[in-house]
Amino acid sequence: MLAFSRRAVLVALLVMATPTFAQTTITDSRGTQTFAEIPQRVIALSWAVVEQLVELDVPLLAVADPDGYGLWVVQPALEPGVENVGRRDEPNVERIAELKPDLIVISDDQAELAPVLERIAPVIHFTLFSLDHDNAEATRTSYLELARLFDREDLARERLAGLDAHLGALRGKVERHFGGDLPKVTAISLMDQARVRVHGGNSTSEAALLALGLDPAFPQPATTWGFVQKRVEQLGPVEEGIILNIEPFRAADQLFPSPLWQAMPFVREHRFAGVRPSWTFGGAFSIGYLAEAFTEALLTIDP
Amino acid sequence: MTSRIALCLIALVAATLIHLGVSSPLPLAQKWALATSVAPDLFEEVRFYHSVLPRLAMALLAGAALGLSGAIMQEATQNRLASPMTLGVSAGARVGLYAATVFVPGLAAAYGEWFALAGASATMALVLAIAGRQGIGGLPIVLAGMALNLLLSAVAVTLIIMNEFYVRHLFVWGAGDLTQIDWQGVSWLWPRLLIALPFALLLSRPLTLLRLGEQGASARGVPILQVLGLALLVALWLTANVVAIVGVIGFIGLIAPNIARMASARSTLDRLLSSIALGAALMVGTDAIALYGSNFTADMIPSGATAALVGAPALIWLAARQMKARDHLRFFLPKGRERMPMPALGLLALLAAALVASSFAVAVTGEGWRVEWPSELVFALRWPRIAAAAAAGVAMAIAGVVLQRLIRNPLASPDIMGMTSGASLALVASSILVGGSIHDASAGIAVLGSAAVLGLLILFGRRTDYAPGIMALAGISLAALLDAIVQFVLARGGEEAFAIVGWMSGSTYRVQADEALFLVLGAAGFLAIGLLARRPLTLVIAGDTLAGSRGLSVPLARLGMLVFSATITAAVTSVMGPIAFVGLISPHLASLLGARRAADQLFAAALIGMSLLTVSDWLGRSLLYPAQLPAGTIAAIIGGSYFVLLLARRPRT
Repeated sequence: MLAFSRRAVLVALLVMATPTFAQTTITDSRGTQTFAEIPQRVIALSWAVVEQLVELDVPLLAVADPDGYGLWVVQPALEPGVENVGRRDEPNVERIAELKPDLIVISDDQAELAPVLERIAPVIHFTLFSLDHDNAEATRTSYLELARLFDREDLARERLAGLDAHLGALRGKVERHFGGDLPKVTAISLMDQARVRVHGGNSTSEAALLALGLDPAFPQPATTWGFVQKRVEQLGPVEEGIILNIEPFRAADQLFPSPLWQAMPFVREHRFAGVRPSWTFGGAFSIGYLAEAFTEALLTIDP
Repeated sequence: MTSRIALCLIALVAATLIHLGVSSPLPLAQKWALATSVAPDLFEEVRFYHSVLPRLAMALLAGAALGLSGAIMQEATQNRLASPMTLGVSAGARVGLYAATVFVPGLAAAYGEWFALAGASATMALVLAIAGRQGIGGLPIVLAGMALNLLLSAVAVTLIIMNEFYVRHLFVWGAGDLTQIDWQGVSWLWPRLLIALPFALLLSRPLTLLRLGEQGASARGVPILQVLGLALLVALWLTANVVAIVGVIGFIGLIAPNIARMASARSTLDRLLSSIALGAALMVGTDAIALYGSNFTADMIPSGATAALVGAPALIWLAARQMKARDHLRFFLPKGRERMPMPALGLLALLAAALVASSFAVAVTGEGWRVEWPSELVFALRWPRIAAAAAAGVAMAIAGVVLQRLIRNPLASPDIMGMTSGASLALVASSILVGGSIHDASAGIAVLGSAAVLGLLILFGRRTDYAPGIMALAGISLAALLDAIVQFVLARGGEEAFAIVGWMSGSTYRVQADEALFLVLGAAGFLAIGLLARRPLTLVIAGDTLAGSRGLSVPLARLGMLVFSATITAAVTSVMGPIAFVGLISPHLASLLGARRAADQLFAAALIGMSLLTVSDWLGRSLLYPAQLPAGTIAAIIGGSYFVLLLARRPRT
């Protein structure tokens, strides 16, 4: 009797909580899909879509490699107790099936998993990283689509407006620091003492820097994931502008004291700084977190 | 002698000048001034002094060391195909370092060369044990090295998958790159190499006497075992130090001594010295190509990749020139039962069926181990993987039986003969050139790749009546070529690069229902064809004369068998990625159980291959739950380890 009444109350609450939600049609990279109800048991398999769902306050049932997420993405943090469904490139479909999700969100290379995952639950796939579009723009579009599905469009617009305001404030800080004469800036990730990833066109990093009003110091062609891999010495020709290295960097002790590194014009002229670890392959909000970290680093450099 | 050495030195100087021209825009006079007296100031000058010059010096040192290492190996084994790469020694050094980096990172950073040496020595010992005394001078040692290369690369992949992010950047390093940022690497390496030089030169006389043959040499008081042991140790030391500092760079150690020999360097000392100069020249030349190529791409090109791109065709050309049609290899099988009784075959079938069934019913779940028949949904998710694994096992085993009979060598198999590499090469290349995921690449492309290898094998084989040596060499070259291209892709980094690494490890993860059905039907068809062809399969191992006298057209039969096994390999590779060792050990185990007649061996090997891949797939799904390991990698580790044990314990003939 008691159980019955509790259920009745829950149902009533649910009905009250979603008074306007009738049917929602979502456009993802593969076409349109109609949902009759707001999904409750959501599994996200790529870190870029995990970020978007967390930023919509959608509780996640499971994600792929949550430990790796905590190590590399860091922000926004996952709720504790999110289940692990294995590697991102080969998530464990049987485990996913056991968890009985009612929505699975994937992105990019995971497209080929869609036919299998669709046996378990409806699948939404977004192409976030592609040469055919502006990656930063694509993440906003997908974020708003997800917001519509979860009936949180107001929240989403509020968050995006907050993000833009935050970026504006950071930009103001940078402008004040450099006194209106803004430097050119490029972000890199040093891999080891000899190799470096330069974040170029279409990268989350470049989008963050552009949002701060900073043009690239070492422009690179747009690529799918927004980086090219080079030898460290190829940074030498960067005659003007600032270079920011996104940490962690394990070989700092070998590279930084070396004569070659010390001879780089941007090192000689103190136009170089390290950036605290931040995820460089994320969505709109990663751009915000990166911009924050970049600003911190830029403020350490004398104008 | 002097004119030949002078020629080698001229090549060395020419390569050095080209390297200097490509690597820095400064005028030559300024380069000379910087190298000798003037202190560098501008960035370009600093770069020249602290990066370009050390890189050149590193190329010279590494090339010289690899050339000498290869030359010593070739003299000691009296085998022109011996080299750090072909004997698996470089791969052993690399895995030694990988393992140290993963398990004892602190020690690995400080004593990398010793871990590399340990890995290289262990591999060398295994290769020698596998090849045996008789095999050192011929193809067996090279085939054993190739088998160990495959096993070690499976181990490396496992280390990388288990430590996803941490070790990933090692892969680039694994590609072998000479980039330097100061003189530290060079000043670390040269004394270590110099120590070895006097030993190498002192060894040249006893090594010369070894050519007289064992009896001749011991008659002149040469302690053969000590000389061999010391020579190999010197070669290993050289290789391990080079691998520890620049990664694996193949082919230099193979090609340089061969060119030295072709330039008719007659005495051993002469050959060793020429190999040093030529190795250095080759390394510097191929590195100049890598540097020049980097001008045209946004991404860097690793030196090891260009060395392999140049070296692989050179090896095939060399093989075609040098190898005789003679067929030194006998078809031998490990000792075991002479016949396989029918009940035993039935038992084997029962075992395979039981394994497939338990692979369905026993699984780790979120709530721990479960033994139950899966729900409809889980069954739908599971069966394509199990079916594909089982069918691929059957198919690869059949390809193995056919090839081992054809080549009359128990070490022949689709992976070692390059058929798997050909299919993979085509798939990887199409994924890079056309773009898109490697998992979407079609079976047609894999067939094209396998067919291209087949064409190559036929081209070389026809002239020599399909002599095993040529076949295996072509396979080794192709595998190295594939490795070079994969390394180039990996050097670009990015998700698609790691997708390719994942695919190269042979996973059932992405197998769809229709693909699984295609593979099951294919495997059944291949088995049927194999059984229909049991007469030629029986006759072809009896020797050409006997087979001919029984009315079998030997060249035609061989051609048919090649086409057949290439088709099987392409079908399996396009669905699952490259699968190593199943085709190698299943026929072995079958004959060990007494299945020696063609039909028996086909049946038994098919059941064994099926069991092996089914179990591997199951282990892959269970060991690291909820993460998964690829079936192909586990099969390679199980199969490879068994194979090494089997061969090391084989009675000597």
